[in-house]
Amino acid sequence: MKIWLEEIKTVFKECDDFFLQHDYLYNQPVILFGLSTLIDIPQTKKLIEINLNMPKYSLQEVIDHHLVKVAREQNNIIDAILEGKIILYIPDFEKYMIMEVISKSLNRSIELPTNENVIQDALDSFIEDIDTNIGIIRKHFRTKFLITKVISTGIEQEKKIALLGLEAHVNQNLMRKIETQLKEKHDQEIHNAQSLVKTLGFSAWDIVPKYKSTEIPTEVIASLKKGKVVLIIDDFPFALIFPNFLWDMFTTENERNLPIPLMLFIRVLRVIGVIVATLMPGLYVALVSVNPEVLQLELGLSIAQSREGVPYPALVEVLMMLVILELILEASVRLPKSIGPTLTMVGGIILGQAIISAKLVSNLLTIVVAGTTIANATVVGIQNHLMLRLLKYVIVILAAIYGVLGIIVGTVLICAYFASINVYGISYLDYQVSKDESNNG
Amino acid sequence: MGNTMIKVFFLLCIVLTSTGCWNNKDINHRLLPAVVGISKNGDKYKLILELPVLESDNMKIQIIKATGKSIADAVDWLSMNMDRGVDLFHVKLIVLDKQFAKQGLTDVMSGLMRSREVAPNAQMAICNEDLDYFFGNVQKSKPPTGDYLLDFFEKDAGWTPNIALTRVWQVYRSLHSSTRDVIIPIIQTGKLTEVEHIGSAVIKNGKMVSQISPNDTLLYNAFDGQGTQGIVEVMDLATVLILSDWKSNKSMIINEKPFMKSQLNLKVTILETKGNPSMDLIKKDLSTLITNRFHRMLTITQKKQADILGLGQTFRTKLPRAKLKNWREKYYPILKLDFQVNVDIQNEGFLKSD
Repeated sequence: MKIWLEEIKTVFKECDDFFLQHDYLYNQPVILFGLSTLIDIPQTKKLIEINLNMPKYSLQEVIDHHLVKVAREQNNIIDAILEGKIILYIPDFEKYMIMEVISKSLNRSIELPTNENVIQDALDSFIEDIDTNIGIIRKHFRTKFLITKVISTGIEQEKKIALLGLEAHVNQNLMRKIETQLKEKHDQEIHNAQSLVKTLGFSAWDIVPKYKSTEIPTEVIASLKKGKVVLIIDDFPFALIFPNFLWDMFTTENERNLPIPLMLFIRVLRVIGVIVATLMPGLYVALVSVNPEVLQLELGLSIAQSREGVPYPALVEVLMMLVILELILEASVRLPKSIGPTLTMVGGIILGQAIISAKLVSNLLTIVVAGTTIANATVVGIQNHLMLRLLKYVIVILAAIYGVLGIIVGTVLICAYFASINVYGISYLDYQVSKDESNNG
Repeated sequence: MGNTMIKVFFLLCIVLTSTGCWNNKDINHRLLPAVVGISKNGDKYKLILELPVLESDNMKIQIIKATGKSIADAVDWLSMNMDRGVDLFHVKLIVLDKQFAKQGLTDVMSGLMRSREVAPNAQMAICNEDLDYFFGNVQKSKPPTGDYLLDFFEKDAGWTPNIALTRVWQVYRSLHSSTRDVIIPIIQTGKLTEVEHIGSAVIKNGKMVSQISPNDTLLYNAFDGQGTQGIVEVMDLATVLILSDWKSNKSMIINEKPFMKSQLNLKVTILETKGNPSMDLIKKDLSTLITNRFHRMLTITQKKQADILGLGQTFRTKLPRAKLKNWREKYYPILKLDFQVNVDIQNEGFLKSD
């Protein structure tokens, strides 16, 4: 058993934060070791003394009665050290004990959601720690029916993944499939959502996300009630909800705090937003260059006038503007918050004004592009937002080739693609996982 | 994966190279005439195109002219000699020379329908004067917004039920129908207004054969279900506003002679009266007025054998097709029509509202 200690020392040879201290407990010489970056050592020592201070028993008896966790294997010890536990080695008994510690606080506190906006609902959001996240869900949703299965994957880096479902509601088939898939491929390293999707056996090339990601606990709870499966991964400050539906693009949970007509109004707005965002630029190209006969004469004339002197064909004009706009959007995400407003001003006002006075694009196109961007922002979820931004180019190119017919063809193509997306047989175009739901969408 | 990517790339190449999208002309490289005037000189067509042009905030009207052996030939000549392509798909109104209309429109109408370049629902009109003179006056007018000629026929704008609304496809249909003729509104330069409407031309087999007055046209529209709502009928005793109308027809063949019973129900409101006539008197007066007017119009068209009301349509189930072909010549002139007008005075004006 002495050999173990030597081996563990060699494992952590390159880690300067590995500590090994000799100490006395009950007048017995003991050795404490662990990773100092994860453990508050003085506090932990006090804790151990209090915990093991049982006057009625000797240390020998404490160990024999399994009042503390005793390591049986060398690997257990290494895992425990990496998890931030402290190991107490008593040379006389040749026993390794894994002790709970007071850890250094490396987690941020629970804050407001930063990637999603919530109106009139619980304002907490997930953080990086998996236990805290599950705790938040438990706090919001006090029920004995919550299934929580924790699976670890990865060899180099072990990752804890919690699989959540609600007994009686959850789609058993889906839950079982995700569980078996994760267990079968337990050697896969999961660093990000892409590798998770691969591990679950989906194509990483689909632009439609298989899961809905959210950092809002109420959203997760609503999904659990609908029978969906929720994956919470350690170090991910968001939950992944399987499966993702098209309808999720238009709904958020906090709208349910509004009266139904107002809720429907907001959702109809989002549907309009999605249609405008995908079709408008294509429609501009189609009407201006391929099918001007569709336009009203008066409208046609004013468009023709606004395009007077524009050197590029409509397609080039539209693509140019759209790409500039995508660049502005991307840049405003990258930049620190303090420079962001400057960019908006330069991009929006100066560039917009200059590009028109320079007669590079028509007035109408700036309206179309601005309308598209605004409409695009109405959609729920950043992934859906990006997906729509990409899909509109399909429509634009088809519209440039076939005009209004191209827009219809593009729409059919997109619908067909959406219809082909499924998660273990549950279609993307479905709207409920279990069939007993009826609560107004 | 790589295989799929190659396939997709290959497909994209095919799509992009086989489209011909570089042949599309952007809208600012096209001339978009709104009104086309067509006249015929000998065997040459003369085309007058009215182009509304937006200049800063004002709409200006540009007139261009071309001649050619056919309409397509004239348009082609224009495209060749202008800096832009000429596209007729925005044409909303086709103005025909009266002499040309009398000679016959068959070739032009078939040509228009065949090429489909002009929308089949473009409006038709006949000009009572020389087209050059007419369009010269149109150009001089300074419309504040929009196009005067177009708005004149626009149902949401300047149209009243005294003006017939006849589309290209309706004229084309009449060429091939044995039981239906059309009327086309006649316009000329106005003395007080820009354009004046002076009645409708009766077109039979593509030729203008007669003319009816605006009042008759109103009746035609009422009979045709074009919505007479909001028209003021002036009589000796009172002026009434027609609120709604509906009609019912009953046709029969007795001894090879066509008979027809027609009922027109009008709902009216009284606008102005002279003296204090009773309601019954106004009802009687109005129904006599309309009945007389109707019979006069019917007599004129029967003489010319032009079934503008499409009365022959109601005999489609009663006459075999072979006989129906001779409807215009054999049956229509001897058609007896019992026309009844039922007037319902819905309210007497807003005298009692206070």
